[in-house]
Amino acid sequence: MIIALPLAILWFGALFIALFDGTRKPVGYAAVGILASALAATVALGIDVHRHGPKEMGIAGWEAGVGIALRADMLGITFAVVSLVVLTTALWFEVSRDVKARIFPALVMFMGLGLTGLFFTGDAFNFYVFFEISMVAAYVLASYGESPRQLRAALIFIVVNLLGSVLFLVGIAAMYHNTGWLDMDRISVQTPVLEENPVILTATIIFVAFSIKLGLFPFHFWLPAVYTGTRPAVAAILSGALANIGSYGLLRFGADIFPRELHEGAWVMLALGSISILYGGIQAIARHSPNEVLAYSTIGQVGYILIALSIGGEAGYAAAILYAVINALNKTLLFLSASLRGWIAGAAFAVGAFSVAGVPPAGGFFGKMAIFQIGIDDGRPWIVALVFIGGALSFVYMFLLYRARFWVNQEADEATTKGALGLVVALALVIVLIGVFPEPLLSISREATSMLPERAP
Amino acid sequence: MTLFVSITIAVIFASAAYLMLKRDLIRVITGMILLGNAANLFIMAAGLRRGRAPVVPSEFETSDSLVQAMTLTAIVISFGVATLVLSLVYRVYDAHHSVDLRRLGSAEAVQSSLDDQPTAHAIQSEEDAQDAIQDREIAARQGGRR
Repeated sequence: MIIALPLAILWFGALFIALFDGTRKPVGYAAVGILASALAATVALGIDVHRHGPKEMGIAGWEAGVGIALRADMLGITFAVVSLVVLTTALWFEVSRDVKARIFPALVMFMGLGLTGLFFTGDAFNFYVFFEISMVAAYVLASYGESPRQLRAALIFIVVNLLGSVLFLVGIAAMYHNTGWLDMDRISVQTPVLEENPVILTATIIFVAFSIKLGLFPFHFWLPAVYTGTRPAVAAILSGALANIGSYGLLRFGADIFPRELHEGAWVMLALGSISILYGGIQAIARHSPNEVLAYSTIGQVGYILIALSIGGEAGYAAAILYAVINALNKTLLFLSASLRGWIAGAAFAVGAFSVAGVPPAGGFFGKMAIFQIGIDDGRPWIVALVFIGGALSFVYMFLLYRARFWVNQEADEATTKGALGLVVALALVIVLIGVFPEPLLSISREATSMLPERAP
Repeated sequence: MTLFVSITIAVIFASAAYLMLKRDLIRVITGMILLGNAANLFIMAAGLRRGRAPVVPSEFETSDSLVQAMTLTAIVISFGVATLVLSLVYRVYDAHHSVDLRRLGSAEAVQSSLDDQPTAHAIQSEEDAQDAIQDREIAARQGGRR
């Protein structure tokens, strides 16, 4: 029952909030409160799973193998907690300024529902359904603000991501046809013993589907156009919460269900990841508008996750999880603080910038270090060089942006409220705290990998 | 039978891809809807068994009911998304008076040239910037008509 609790809170909460006018402050804060309570329920579930091991629950009391299963393991919970933190912060941020559409708070909660659901589900088709719930919420959110530019951004976002969703659906149908199961655990038992070719094809389709969500190099084309058009809170939600679908999906489907195919395709992922890092970094330096720089930076940052994933093994997966978590927090902080003014916002932005560049004591340092370490352990010094170059590039573009936003241009785009500043500072403190006390996060990411099978040597 | 279904799916998928590359937004959306239908057919084709309608109890070989349930869910989802996209297209049409992707692209180019100017901060607020774009778009349209 406890697994379904965060889902139930979000589901009924979102429906309830949708009835009211979200532009009014009390409704907005009620939505923040409900999201925060879902977050608390997820954290409680996480503590329980940490103590007693993964939990499983058949929906509507059906026994395993017949009904749809909900599974809570450390991997899903980690991503769920991060996504809910990002959503709560972004919603709170927007409420503390001014919500411009009455449906906004409810949509953020529906997205939280979709994300939490897909991190907890144990059924491939159910994964698709939750995935669509969060995507539909994201489609509407992308048009939030409803200026011509935001409408265009939403249109690009929908067309490209719908293509990704359809590919994913085809991949699931293919998986069902190949293995005869929709339950992810049973599929993962079947895939290693099946004939290779159909499984490779399925794995490729699913990889492409998640890469579109993540905005990886050859599939990144939609990302800058969408991020530059949307409002800061929505950009933070898209890059901090929705992009987690991509990283989680690659870990769950890649490392758990298709480990053999992941191993075989490792060099492709390594190449794509490296190109993403360099391309994102160089493009970001060439841009001026903050959202555009951060959008290209997002393309660069997912490259690291892919590299960690392609090296694989326990250390590689742990590094990928660590990097995904820190990256989500970084991007949220940067998108939110870049829209504010004043030295406090500037300091918060600088923390995020240091974290992206991988400078201690910001949390990003440990993400970079984990990838350094697996690069050295794997005997590939060029990965270390690449991480270093990527870090240097991000240092350059981050401080070009800092200069442009906080030194040269002092006028505020919009109201810089105390609440918004407080949130940004709190998020910056969390990132510094992760940097100063990294051990809890490191052990969580190691625990999360324990349910993923070791890569075949 | 498998070959026939595969060819049907391939043709629908190809038409959808062709439509999605068009400049007219309505065609793009039609392409997206077709793509969803191709995926639905694909799920049906992925069924493990063939036979009569799966009504229990049955003494005959029944068809795979799971793919039918999945297709039904997918149809509902793609239906909902199609409605959402069409309403968005209407909003885009309302804002630009056009569903031609070239026109939307030129509006985007105007916007990003505004962003790239280091003096862009001279434009005080987002509303001013929006007004400026709309003025330029109207000017561009009138220029085009002459």
